[in-house]
Amino acid sequence: MSDKVVDMRQITKVFPGVVALDSVNFDCDRGEVHALVGENGAGKSTLVKILSGVYEPDGGEILLNGKQVRIPSPYAAQQLGISIIYQELNLLPDLNVAENVFLGREPRNFLGFLDIHSLENQAHDVLHRLGVDINPRTPLRRLTVAQQQMVEIAKAISLNAQIVIMDEPSATLGGQDLERLFEVITALKKQGVTVIYISHRLAEIFQVADRVTVFKDGRVVGTSPIAEIDRSTMVRMMIGRSFSETFPARGGSPGEEVLSIQNLTSGRALQDITLSVRRGEIVSLAGLTGSGRTELARAIFGARRIDQGEIRISGKPVKMKNPRDALKNNIGFLTEDRNEEGLVLGLSVQHNAALPSLKQRQRWGVLNLSAEEKVVKEKVDELSIRTPSLGQGVEFLSGGNRQKVVLAKWLITNPELLIFDEPTRGIDVGAKSEIWHLMRSLADQGKGILMISSELPEVIGMSDRIVVIHRGRVVGEIAGVQATEEQVMMLATYGE
Amino acid sequence: MSQEIVRPSYRSRAFQQFFDENRELLTIYGILMLIIIIGTVLSPDFRSAANLFNVLRQAVALGMVSIGQTFVILSGGIDLSVGAAISLTAVYTAGLMKLYPEMTLPIVLLILLMGLTIGLFNGTLVTRLKIAPFIATLATGSILQGLVLLNGKRPSGKIAPGWEYFAEGMVGPVPFPVIVLAILIILAIIVIHRTVLGRNIIATGGSERIARYSGIRTTLVLNSAYIICSISAVLTGLYLTSRMAIGDPQVGGLSYDRFDLDSITAVLIGGTRLGGGKGSVIGTIAGVLIVTVLNNVFNLVGVDTFYQWIVKGIIILVAVAAYSTRKSAE
Repeated sequence: MSDKVVDMRQITKVFPGVVALDSVNFDCDRGEVHALVGENGAGKSTLVKILSGVYEPDGGEILLNGKQVRIPSPYAAQQLGISIIYQELNLLPDLNVAENVFLGREPRNFLGFLDIHSLENQAHDVLHRLGVDINPRTPLRRLTVAQQQMVEIAKAISLNAQIVIMDEPSATLGGQDLERLFEVITALKKQGVTVIYISHRLAEIFQVADRVTVFKDGRVVGTSPIAEIDRSTMVRMMIGRSFSETFPARGGSPGEEVLSIQNLTSGRALQDITLSVRRGEIVSLAGLTGSGRTELARAIFGARRIDQGEIRISGKPVKMKNPRDALKNNIGFLTEDRNEEGLVLGLSVQHNAALPSLKQRQRWGVLNLSAEEKVVKEKVDELSIRTPSLGQGVEFLSGGNRQKVVLAKWLITNPELLIFDEPTRGIDVGAKSEIWHLMRSLADQGKGILMISSELPEVIGMSDRIVVIHRGRVVGEIAGVQATEEQVMMLATYGE
Repeated sequence: MSQEIVRPSYRSRAFQQFFDENRELLTIYGILMLIIIIGTVLSPDFRSAANLFNVLRQAVALGMVSIGQTFVILSGGIDLSVGAAISLTAVYTAGLMKLYPEMTLPIVLLILLMGLTIGLFNGTLVTRLKIAPFIATLATGSILQGLVLLNGKRPSGKIAPGWEYFAEGMVGPVPFPVIVLAILIILAIIVIHRTVLGRNIIATGGSERIARYSGIRTTLVLNSAYIICSISAVLTGLYLTSRMAIGDPQVGGLSYDRFDLDSITAVLIGGTRLGGGKGSVIGTIAGVLIVTVLNNVFNLVGVDTFYQWIVKGIIILVAVAAYSTRKSAE
């Protein structure tokens, strides 16, 4: 068994009220890419947190290269050659690439001063090992998210990590960037580094992993070489029942235009955009990260300055200087980052859901709390939000339920147009399907829906029309029923 | 087969839920009870009814200003200018009342207007000029304290006849200012929990961006919080002027007996999160009573002021550490 880099046996971890891991066995070979899949709360994050020293297990043992170890802290994990890259990057935007890679371990000269020359050389070498071409002197804030992730990986490698854990590394990446990430992972493999890869996107697991371990409810359902398992088996293991990624049926004929944008230009990010969304229609905005998708959504929502062009809502030209104006024009915006821009953590379900519509239920500024409770309760039931009470803090809800609270918050304002930015990112498989069905039924009720998504199956499966943008320009429009992943990808990547 | 229906005990569950949701508040009030019990054991004078009202009377000034401070801290800010605002109010009120003894009402309105202006000034610095609240209000406080001392370094002026009622009046056995404080507490609780403004303040403190994305005019909301705070400081100044019957340029506090620091202490002990988004006036009042009762017990037992500062510092550390470690444990 000594060729096992990691061998975790009978790992158990109990939190108050939950058994997060129940006698889990997990192992990795040298130079292997081992994917962990499972719904949120299935135990995969807890397992990697134990391996990276964030938690200590309540039972079981961990062997590294055949030797039993204790990992009491993240520092200890680092010393043992285990690095973890979280979904949220932990880098300092004002330092440059080299300084970030060697943060806290800067090389010094014999006088004890920083040896900047050696710092930059070493950073260059590490990046080179990964096959990444980034100038070590570039300030981090000038890099794209994908490049920043490479820097984070370089940081892990420079610690001589033999095990690199990636927690949803692809969540913020699209197309080309994803390819780059896979290339880097391949480079790591060649150097004998073991990669533990957590992702909700099953397609990429088949692309990158050697083996996969499926978690459910704190237990390992099974481990299998990737060649010996197919997608539907994997999903069945994850959710414990048969499941196909079926999308709701498309709607009937759409009504009049809810949103119409003519020749909109905003800074450098958006050039001469023209598009429309009609009632009963789901239009998706496809494009790579950084293509201007999110910027367009913000511009429509009044959160971004518009230099030229016109926006019409239900045929009426409107000026939107801030989100308040957008709200008045019956637009709702479900942002990409639910935690930073969607829900106030620390506030309850009711208080969050009621926030944009407080004015509807007040007299002289005093709230009608029973009306508020009623309207929130209605939406909680309608969207089947699973929460023990309306007073529950939103931070205790699962990703899918949080997204539904955001949806509830906007539905209470009775919007005509809803913008969904990455509606199912970081949400587990079962909840995804629920969100999709909710979106379709909203469209069927006559609302217009504009969706932004990096996940091509979602774009293809959900949309009535797909508008592709590339470098801030609309480069094509495809009817949803006819679109193929290749076609959308080509347009998004090359603009033609 | 006979079936026995086992019903869960809803009553104990409701109690459990109340306890869980208000665990922090109950803890603070528990600590307050503990201090009161210790005071009762240590000093026979503490137990007397006269002293009880004395403590409440002492709590009025800190209570008023801390209610205002709660609003600002809930909104994600902090107001370090309240001490100087209190001193300025005292000096101007007593000065004006000495000159125009028959113009009580216009003077009080003018002073309240001054409070509004100070709040608007702080709010503008924070919202328009994007100055961090700590710096903005520190600077405002410095300007106000300068104005106070320009006016004179010694207590001066005189209060209008009848104005002493604010501090000394009695309604039956209850001091009038205690009633005023009670009304302010109720008002503040209503504003925070039952009004659009209150919700907006908490949401803005929780996340200014989410609040803005939810269509809330965060600039207006933050300005309102600072205005509420400054007006409550000015009210405190009016009350203290009434109590002392003179305009004392140091009444807002010097060194570590400052109303700005004490009010922040009370708010933080009361469980309002520094940084905003979570907290309550009920908690703040417990904080005010803890600070006041401690001072009272120390004075009765004859402990030096400097020891009181040490204890106050330790209490802040313990309270805030307790909240932040609990938060990180979640």
